[in-house]
Formats: sequence, C-alpha cells, structure tokens
Amino acid sequence: MTEPLIRVAGLTRHYQMGGTTVRALDGVDIDIEPHTFTVVMGPSGSGKSSLLYLLGGLDRPSGGEIWVDGQRLDTMDENRLAVFRRDKMGFIFQSFNLVQSMSAWENVAFPMQFAGVSATQRRERATRLLSQVGLADRSHHKPSELSGGQQQRVAIARALVNDPALILADEPTGNLDTSSGVTVMQMLSDLHRSGRTVLVVTHDPRMTRFATHKIFLLDGKVVSEAEYQSAALEAPLPSD
Amino acid sequence: MKFLDLLRLITGNLNRRKARVGLTAIGVVIGTAAVVILVSLAIGLQKNANEQLYGIGDLTLIQVSPSYGEGGVMMGGGGFVMGGGGGGGQSDLPKLTNTALDEIRAIPGVVAVIPQEYFYSMMIMKYQRLEGNSNLRGVDTSDLSLLGLEAQQGSTEVKRGSVVIGAMVAANFYDPRLRPGQEPPPPPDLYDQQIQITAVKWDAEGNEIRKNLSVRVTGVLTEKGDDSDWSVFIPFSDIKALNEWTNGTKINYNKDGYNQVIVKVADAKQALDIADQIIAMGFQAFTMQSFVEGLNNFYMVLQVVFGGMGAIALLVAAIGIANTMTMSILERTREIGLMKAVGATNRDVLSIFLGEAAGIGFLGGLGGVVIGWLAGQALNVLAIVYLANQSTQQGGPPPSVAVYTPAWLPLFALAFATFIGMISGLYPALRAATMIPVQALKYE
Repeated sequence: MTEPLIRVAGLTRHYQMGGTTVRALDGVDIDIEPHTFTVVMGPSGSGKSSLLYLLGGLDRPSGGEIWVDGQRLDTMDENRLAVFRRDKMGFIFQSFNLVQSMSAWENVAFPMQFAGVSATQRRERATRLLSQVGLADRSHHKPSELSGGQQQRVAIARALVNDPALILADEPTGNLDTSSGVTVMQMLSDLHRSGRTVLVVTHDPRMTRFATHKIFLLDGKVVSEAEYQSAALEAPLPSD
Repeated sequence: MKFLDLLRLITGNLNRRKARVGLTAIGVVIGTAAVVILVSLAIGLQKNANEQLYGIGDLTLIQVSPSYGEGGVMMGGGGFVMGGGGGGGQSDLPKLTNTALDEIRAIPGVVAVIPQEYFYSMMIMKYQRLEGNSNLRGVDTSDLSLLGLEAQQGSTEVKRGSVVIGAMVAANFYDPRLRPGQEPPPPPDLYDQQIQITAVKWDAEGNEIRKNLSVRVTGVLTEKGDDSDWSVFIPFSDIKALNEWTNGTKINYNKDGYNQVIVKVADAKQALDIADQIIAMGFQAFTMQSFVEGLNNFYMVLQVVFGGMGAIALLVAAIGIANTMTMSILERTREIGLMKAVGATNRDVLSIFLGEAAGIGFLGGLGGVVIGWLAGQALNVLAIVYLANQSTQQGGPPPSVAVYTPAWLPLFALAFATFIGMISGLYPALRAATMIPVQALKYE
C-alpha cells in the first residue's frame, strides 16, 4: 500500500455564529491515496466545502491534523502555505473566480507571476493549456465574453498551470448546465487518468460515476454510503 | 514575484479604473501643486533677499573691536564702529594688541587680520577749485582687494603718498564759491590726479591748526553699497601719524590696542563660528553672516510654514487615497482570495495594493509638479513686472526672480506625493494582505 497523499486525523472546524458554535467538521479522519479521483458527497451544510478549503490550506482547522504530500498544513506559517498552494495544488471553484479585467490567457498565466516564471514562458504555457481545454481560439476573450462552461475550462487550465499533484474542485459543475457539467467532469477525469490526484466536492450524485473513491459527509462527520442513502431518504436534501 | 511583473500588474490594475484613479489623483495634484508653488515662493523671496544682501557686505569679513562696556555685546550696523579715543583707562578688558592679533591669526580658517583706523578729527579735500568731505581710513594692508574691494580705475594698492578712493568720493566734491542759481559742476574725475588733504584740529584756546598733505589718487574703487564707497584709503602708518598729530601724543598700539581690526576668513560659512571664537576671547565681533544666517533661518521657517500649508492639501488627498483603496479592496475581496489560492504570499498582496496606492500618489504628484511649476513661471512673469515697477519708484535694484523652483523641489514633491500615497494605502493594503483566503473567496 502506498503512502496516502492526504491524511486527515481528528479534523474539526468550528465557527462561532451569533453565540452558538457551528460544528462544520466534527472529528474527520480520511486517507486519500495518490492518483485517485475522490468525490466528497454531502448536502449543503454538511461541511464538505470546509473540508476542501482545509485540505487546500485556505483555512485553519479548530483541531486535528492535516498532512498533504508529507507536509503538515495546520501548523505551517502563512508564507510557506502560500508557496505550498502555488506549487502543489490547483483550485477550481463553483463561481470560476476569473479576474474579469484579464483575458483568458492572462487569467491562466496569472498564478505563474507569483512563481516568478518569465513572461514568455507564461504566455507559451498558458496558450498550450488553453488549447488543451479546447479554447485556443478564445485566448484573448474576457471572461464576460465566454459561456459558463468555457469560463470553467479556463479555470481548469489555470489550475494546471503550475503542474500540481493535487486538484481540488469545489462544486465545479454547480453553475453549469448539464452538458457543460459533463464536459468539465470528463476533463477532471482525464486529469486523473494522466496521473493527478483529483478531489471534487459536490452534492450532485451524478458526479460519482467518475470517482474511484467516494466520501460521504453528514453534519460534519464521515458516514458510510448506506447511512448516507438512508438519511437522504428520510429527509429530502435541500437543493444547494 | 518579480518587480517588473509587479509593476505591470499595478499599472494594469490602475488602468482598469481610470475614472476613480483620476478623481482620487486630482486631490494629490492640488496638494503637490500647492507645495511646489508655496515653497518656490518662499525660496524666491529668500533668493531675492540674499541678492540684495550680497551687495551690502563681504560675508568673509569680520569686524572686530575691543569691548567697551560690560560683557561681549555684539554690535551691528554695517561695520562702522568708531574707536573712542584710543582706549584710555579701561584696565581688565582685553585689548587688540599685536599678541591678540596673533592669537586671532592662529584660528583655523582666518586668512588675514588687518587693523583699521579712521581719522579722529576733521579733514577737507581740495582738488582745483573744488572741496570735498570724506572719511579718511587707514588700513594695514597694501592691497585693498584683500577686503573684497575692486578698482574701477587704477589699482587697489595703497602706497605712501597715494590714496585709493571709494566710488562716491568724487560725487562729494563741490564748488565752495558757487553762486546761488549757478549750475553745480559735474563730479571731477580724480583718477591719477593730485589732491590736497587738509587735516584740522583745534588747540586748547580754540585756535584752528591745519596740516596739509598732497597725495595722488592711484585707484578708484567699484561701488560696493557700503561705507567703503565714501572712504579715502591711506596707508595705516599715515593715519597713525595724523592721529598722533591730532592727539599730540604718541599712539602705542601694542599697549593700548587697535580700535578696529578686520578679520578675513577663507569661507563665509566659517565666519559665524570664527566670530564666536573671537567673542570668546573678550572682543566684539560682527559679521554680515550672522545677519544673513538670521534671515536664512527666517526664510527656512517661511518655507516650512508654506510647505505645511500645501501639506494640509496633501493630507486631505491622502485620506481620499485611503478611501479609494479601502473601497477597491472591498470590491476585489474575491480577487484577493483567488490570488492567495493560486500562491500569492501576504507580501505579494501587500506589494500590489501598496503599489497601487503609491501609483495614485505618483500620478497625482506628476500632475501637481507640472501644474505647480507652470503656475510658478506664470506668477514669476507677473510678479517681476510688478516688482520692477515698484523698485524703479523706490530706487532699488529690480529683483531677478520672484518664484524660484530649484531642481530638487519637483523631485522631492514627486517622491513625497508617492510616499504619501503609499502611506495612505498602508491600512487598506494590510487588510488585504491579512485576509483569510477562504473568507475572501466566499465574500459576496
């Protein structure tokens, strides 16, 4: 058995909300092997997004340990964490988070500025990645001139630009129509097949067909698929 | 992050919000222009005052005389300090003896120590039919150029049997037999002419006693604007002999000390310091430099006050920048979150937003410097015309400049405006840099 790429032990994340403590994550233990495609399923408020942001080093846990690629994130200082995110991770968000004033290729090239990559190399790599996601002819378009699916493909290209080992996607299809959503999931699946580790957070059960591993979250706790299904039958899931 | 990339990112970010950046920068333009104009005005006033001053006296000269009263009082007034009777009985006050002169000579920076003496009594000058009055002045140097004097005719050398006269001496000659209504004769050209100097004294019974000297004018000095214009310079030994004749006693400078000594220093900047050392020796010392220094201090205060007024405008502009940046950071919260997610360090984010704030300051500063400089030039043209009219009415030399912008001022103003911009951006930029990525990304 290989060493897990991600190891989470006793992870908790509590928020204070108007005097009451919300337990977004309440003692989560997960191991994720490298080169897997993991889908984290859970209804809204189950803590799945909190988990993703903690794994991505974008948030700090209230307790527990997070190990990614042999490094402990929960005690890492801000600067090293930023460099770690830059070199090891690619993020894909539900709302794309493209910089509106930049063209598609500039958005893709943007993260490389912080890595100190030269301008010509940035341009060359961004153009190559855009053609990989089928947007070579759209590289000079602003996000507002692209469809939702195209914007998310730009975001995928951006996530790949520093050649990360781990891709973290938060509801990547949430703002897309079905066919665009399938295209995006297909792309993520391709990334997995090319050797990357992909972790997708979603509440859409259709996405599980690409997954090699599934994690089910309910009220901040990891549950089995059976428990998850029965809970889903008991109460209709609120749409996110 | 590379500096060039940072710069490109900052200009790009400023460029996409032109209207807001422009409006914010206008405040800086006004503030910087105000600083440039007001400080230029203060510097112009100082320059003017200094130009008028440099005509008055040589700043490398210190007038030294013995202390007559109690304590070393500094005497002012153009260096015309008359010796009162050769220093009679005052006992313990130090005298300007040759030993004292040697001590002054030993002060570093002193180039020459020249005793000077005026004629105690009255004298009349005669040239052909004309008579004239002037003060007779003996200087213990053979060359008046050491005192910063220049000759317009002949030389500045003072030899036995000859005199060098100030520029206005000839104008003092008049015809004593002139009848009322008659045209007064033009001032004579005395250069290389023989003139007669008559010293006058009175004995105990009030009888007038005269002594005549015939001398040749070997030099006429250029106008300086001080008492040298009205002086007739003769060798020191001659003035000593004349004063001994007037008093009827021998003068022993080594015992009684000189009444006045001129100390020449190498550099005007040292004059005050050396004057202080001479005062510490128990003498009176006066230098024009102390006057100039006081005046310079006044103008320095004026510059600070004027600059301060401009700085108030800049302060208001700074608040504008802080406001704009705070707004901008609120709007771009998600962008900041994204930057952090893709690997921007806190330092990168801080640099970007500080850079944008400094950029607004720089743009405003650039505009302000140009406008301030142009306004200064316009003001100059108007003011010089006005002041030139005034000075022709009052008979002074016209000012050469009213508003003066030295090269350092625009550079300083530009740097200052940029700095102000950066300082104003500090709080918003720090807020941006320390945002928690997940909160920034989820900000609606």
